Amino acid sequence: MKTKMDFPNINERKPEGLKETGDSYKVLVVDDSMFVTKQISQILTSEGFDVIGTAGDGQEGLEKYKELYPNIDLVTMDITMPKMDGVSALEKIIEFDKEARVIMISALGKQDLVKKSLMIGAKNYIVKPLDRKKVLERVIMALKQ
Amino acid sequence: MRIEYINPFVESAFSILKEVLNTDLKRGELYLKSSSQTILGVAAIVGLAGGVEGRVLFDMTEKTAIGIASAMNMEELNEMNELAKATINELANMITAQAVTKLHELGFKFDLTPPAIITGKNMEVTDTGVEALIVPVELPQGKIEINVAIRERT
Repeated sequence: MKTKMDFPNINERKPEGLKETGDSYKVLVVDDSMFVTKQISQILTSEGFDVIGTAGDGQEGLEKYKELYPNIDLVTMDITMPKMDGVSALEKIIEFDKEARVIMISALGKQDLVKKSLMIGAKNYIVKPLDRKKVLERVIMALKQ
Repeated sequence: MRIEYINPFVESAFSILKEVLNTDLKRGELYLKSSSQTILGVAAIVGLAGGVEGRVLFDMTEKTAIGIASAMNMEELNEMNELAKATINELANMITAQAVTKLHELGFKFDLTPPAIITGKNMEVTDTGVEALIVPVELPQGKIEINVAIRERT
C-alpha cells in the first residue's frame, strides 16, 4: 500500500532563516519599542532565524554586538532611540566590525537619516509599519550581499 | 485652527490603521472644541514645535486600546499592560510620522516629540489660545478620536 512517505514533498522549502549548513542566522534586535521588538522577533523566528539578543537603545545595542561577536550574522536597528540613536550605534558597530550586517528600521519621514545610514554601511532599511513579507525580503537581501 | 493641519493626521490614521488592523474604518463628523475636553481613558499625545506648535492626541477608551493592541500583536491582551502601551505608542508614532511627512511636503516646518501615553479616568485636556479640531474614526474595536490643536507660531 502506498503511503504518504513514498512521495517526496515537492513543496518543501528550507526556511529562509537557515544557512546552507542548517544552522540558524543569528540576529540582534535593537529597538526601544517593546512592540516592534516582539514583532520583528516573531517574524524572524517563524522563519527559522535565531534572535540571540535584544537591546532597548543604541548604547546597549553596541555593547551586545561586541559581546556576541563573532557569533552574530545580522542586526536590526531602530533609528530613533534614547541614549544613543541608531545611526550613531551603526557607526560604532561598523567601526568595530567592517563586515557587520545592519538593517535600519525607520518611521516614514526619516529619509535623510536612512540615506546617512546607507552611506555609513547599513545593508538595507525597512520603513514601518512592518509586515512579514517586507521584513523577510530586506533581511534576506542584506544577508546575501 | 486651519483645516490643513488635521487632514494629514486623519489620512495617515486611515492608511496606517487599515494596514495594521486589516479592517475597514468609518470617518465621523469633524467637530471643533474650544473649552476643556474629557479624555476617553487612553490617549497618546505627540507635541509639535517649530514653525507651528501644538499637540495631537489619539484618544480612545481603555477597551478600544486593548482591542487594537490585541489585534496588532495577534494575541489576546486583557489589560493595559506595558506591551499594550508600547503598541499604542508605536501606532501613534507611525501615524504622526506619516502625517508630518505630508505636512513637511506642504511647507510646514516643525519637529515632533516622541509619543507619550496617558491613562486614567476623569481627566480633561485644556488648550489655551487654540481650539481643537476632532475627527472620530470608527473601527471594529471602537472609536479613536484624532484631536489636533495646532497654531502658527507668532
